[in-house]
Amino acid sequence: MNNEAAYWITLAHLPKWGYVKLNNLIIRFFHENNLSIEAFFQLSEQEWKSDYNLEYKDVEDLKKAKNDIPNHAFLAETLMNEGYELIPITSPLYSKTLKENLKYNAPSLLYVKGNTAILQEDSIAIVGSRNASALSLDFTDHIAKKAGEENKVVVSGFAKGVDLKALDSIIQYRGKSIIVLPQGIMTFGSGFRKYYQQIINGNVLVISTFFPKAPWQAELAMARNPIIYGLASEIYVAESSEKGGTWSGVIDGLRKNRKIFVRIPESYELTANPLLIQKGAIPVDLFGNRTPDTHLLSESEKPQAIKANNKKNPNNPQPTLFD
Amino acid sequence: MTRSEAEEILQQTFKIACFYDEQWNTIDMILNGERVLLIEKTGFGKSLCFQFPAIILDGITVIFSPLIALMRDQVKKLNQLGIPARCVNSEQTEEENSKIIEAAKSGKIKILYIAPERQNNEEWMEATRQMNLSMVVVDEAHCISAWGHDFRPAFRRIINLVKLLPKGLPVLATTATATKQVEADIVQQMGGDLKIIRGNLMRDNFKLFVIKVQSEEEKLIWLGKNIEKLPGTGILYTGTRVDTEVYSRWFEFLNIPSMGYNAGLDSESRIAIEEGLMQNKWKCVISTNALGMGIDKPDIRFIIHTQIPQSPVHYYQEIGRAGRDGKPAYIILFYAPEDKRLPEAFIEGGRPSIHKYEKVISEIKKDLLGERELIKKTNLKQNQFRIIKADLMDQKIVREVTIDRSKKLEYVPGAPKLNTQIFEALRASKTDDLNQMIEYVETSQSRMNYLCNFLGDSTPNIAESCDNTGLKKIQVIVTDEWIQKIEDFHGQYFPILEVEKKGSNLVNGIASSYYGFSNVGTTLHRCKYENGGDYPDFLLKLTLKAFRKQYGQDPFDLILYVPPTKSGNLVKNFAIKISDILQIPISHQLIKHKVTKEQKNLENAYLKSDNVKEAFRYQNPDELFGKTILIIDDIFDSGATIKEIGRYLTKLGAFKIAPLTIAKTVGGDKL
Ligand SMILES: Nc1ncnc2c1ncn2[C@@H]1O[C@H](COP(=O)(O)OP(=O)(O)OP(=O)(O)O)[C@@H](O)[C@H]1O
Ligand SMILES: [Mg+2]
Repeated sequence: MNNEAAYWITLAHLPKWGYVKLNNLIIRFFHENNLSIEAFFQLSEQEWKSDYNLEYKDVEDLKKAKNDIPNHAFLAETLMNEGYELIPITSPLYSKTLKENLKYNAPSLLYVKGNTAILQEDSIAIVGSRNASALSLDFTDHIAKKAGEENKVVVSGFAKGVDLKALDSIIQYRGKSIIVLPQGIMTFGSGFRKYYQQIINGNVLVISTFFPKAPWQAELAMARNPIIYGLASEIYVAESSEKGGTWSGVIDGLRKNRKIFVRIPESYELTANPLLIQKGAIPVDLFGNRTPDTHLLSESEKPQAIKANNKKNPNNPQPTLFD
Repeated sequence: MTRSEAEEILQQTFKIACFYDEQWNTIDMILNGERVLLIEKTGFGKSLCFQFPAIILDGITVIFSPLIALMRDQVKKLNQLGIPARCVNSEQTEEENSKIIEAAKSGKIKILYIAPERQNNEEWMEATRQMNLSMVVVDEAHCISAWGHDFRPAFRRIINLVKLLPKGLPVLATTATATKQVEADIVQQMGGDLKIIRGNLMRDNFKLFVIKVQSEEEKLIWLGKNIEKLPGTGILYTGTRVDTEVYSRWFEFLNIPSMGYNAGLDSESRIAIEEGLMQNKWKCVISTNALGMGIDKPDIRFIIHTQIPQSPVHYYQEIGRAGRDGKPAYIILFYAPEDKRLPEAFIEGGRPSIHKYEKVISEIKKDLLGERELIKKTNLKQNQFRIIKADLMDQKIVREVTIDRSKKLEYVPGAPKLNTQIFEALRASKTDDLNQMIEYVETSQSRMNYLCNFLGDSTPNIAESCDNTGLKKIQVIVTDEWIQKIEDFHGQYFPILEVEKKGSNLVNGIASSYYGFSNVGTTLHRCKYENGGDYPDFLLKLTLKAFRKQYGQDPFDLILYVPPTKSGNLVKNFAIKISDILQIPISHQLIKHKVTKEQKNLENAYLKSDNVKEAFRYQNPDELFGKTILIIDDIFDSGATIKEIGRYLTKLGAFKIAPLTIAKTVGGDKL
């Protein structure tokens, strides 16, 4: 793969293509036609059109992008020189969990630094609010500790609040962790300084799916959330409000039948956690243990809760703490 | 494009009638988007093989080149032909470089020369995202091989870059000096689809001589007597920077027009000297090999080496500057038996000891640090540190990363153990090369053939090409007259101490001698470290002579001396004697008020200047205001002590501070 890095950078950042379209193309040339990405770019326009059913505009996009490959070779060389690795979706190093969870929506290219073996290990994500309560942070700490003991990787998003707590805790318990960046990987300088020892020791892997030099942006932070959810086999929600990244991530996950555990809040807390539980998330206590005797909903009622809340009836008047 | 079409453009643009066949073959392949390694003799015309396609292809050609002088030379020639070429290098200002990079981005430049180290530069990397790149060239491609004669670690990155470039983008690597081993190494590194074109290396207009001598003086004498008898102008290569100075002072003493050149000069001087060379301003330019590779002047009529190069490849490369117009050129090598010590020391001392490597690795494992911090932490000389760093990077044990715009060294997780066998192998190979170079001195076969054979080219013998094949051998005849001249020369030759700096009233000073010259260093050492007593009178006389030469009748108010760390009153007693003779009052009030370490035990300039920082006090500071002061010391090494005293005395209001020392060291002197 190494020598194909410039091609992958070029393909992965085709403007306005989106993962589904990219992955469709990749599947066609790589799996169906057995072509390397280099060979694909050597094809004539005619072949792109006829063999890949590409429209005029797509072919134009590819032609334009092809001119950028030499430029991306320079970028790729810098990346490799500084120890970043590029993992395209066709690589055996690519996270199987991510591919299974996101399917056609999986990012075509990962930029990583650190121990890539972590990508194949059992993993959980801990998510929650930037302004999390002390209870949520406690919960996060307990879940991280448990993950450490069970040798599971903790995936988090490097935001304030729950994300950073999850990271700090798993590091404290000498477990393994994946940081999913809301920015390009080359702009994470201070983070690489901070987690230098953990990266050297193989306990941390940093991932970004964005153009390596992209600075932090709100949209990137949003776009990163599905990657966090996608990289984990189980998701623990410390705290969610009724909108925002955590909320939409969980809702999306529930729709896809993912295993999502939500902390049962104390009665005085103002969170949307109960609502998520109503919608089908699995309630857990402060230590991450499932509690059958929840005061909210019993297991058997859950499917109905989902039904009751599907698209046809979005404003279902379930009582929530926000009423 | 057909050859005749191309040659029409060649005539119009380059004013050259036609291509040599091998040039056209190469160019044809390049225009077809292939990757080529071109090995042709010095002066063949390899540059045309990339310069021509560069103006045909759409976009910009980037040429990675190892020497600044070489870049400047080529850019100038291209500009004279009206071709938009530029170079980016560390000797130009940031603004100049930025402007050029900007122009490259907007497509205003066709050919851009750049040092491989520039890959480390953010602005350049940013620019590479926007350029319309048409071709990549690696000139002097032997630099990418550790087995080559001028290995440059930064070329490793160029190799990686080349591997990442898309198929169909032409790449040309050129060199004159690749042995078969180096050729194989280049091919292996650049990857499989590299086509090789190799021509013959014979330079048949060379007249090669070896002059065996017994001493340095004999070299000076022969040159003094004969250099003006050689036709035209030429280059005299010395083994060290100091020798460029010594030889140019000698020629100055004899009124022979010459000029010294080395990488230590500021860029303005270097540019002026390069231009002067082209215009035949002097009989010869005296240079280290900083002026060498690739430089193209048609009529260099002689090349003389006062010091044996490290290998036949170095030698072939350096003499390759001569006779590029095809007319006869004299190629002379001096050799005294002790001369092999310098290259031997270079090979032996080339690599620091293993425990120093381990020390660096262990610091890097502990923390993400920059070069400066690591040099301080490990107490290593900067150049030693750089060797270690390059080796560790080469072995993928550490790598350089950019953290918030500054460079740090990072340990590579799961890195292999330090491989010291490769060091042994390289050392063995270098020793072998040196022996082969010495064999060149002793051989009785054709010297040109000997060199070509070494480079993997067996071209048939030609007559009258050297002092083994028909030309008369040269011998040195020493006469009393010339012995006297040498003595007179030594008696008036004093090294300058360069310490002038903005914001300090310190002026450049003088030493009576280089440390290693005649018996000065050994005498100092005996007195200082073997209880040899006060510095003897001959040093006093020599120092006074140096004083008079530098300062003449300048008035001084006061003599101070550098207070000792260890060696007692030697400098004090010496300064008292000077004060007596010059009738300048002496003061004993400059003292050291903090304990410092011996400077000679500190390995690098950062630590040395930290060591003496704020270390000095003058007991009665008011009395120095407006004074002109002579400051005396025995040995001037890094200059950190004198500079610190200069800074301090300037702060106290001294009007002028002038240094005078017995000896000045050059890099590598053992104190
Ligand atoms: N086809 C040609 N006909 C006549 N002169 C030529 C031709 N090609 C090149 N030259 C001239 O030959 C000289 C040497 O060329 P160049 O500097 O490219 O040599 P080189 O092969 O790079 O040597 P080196 O290995 O020493 O760098 C130049 O002055 C150039 O103009
Ligand atoms: Mg050349």
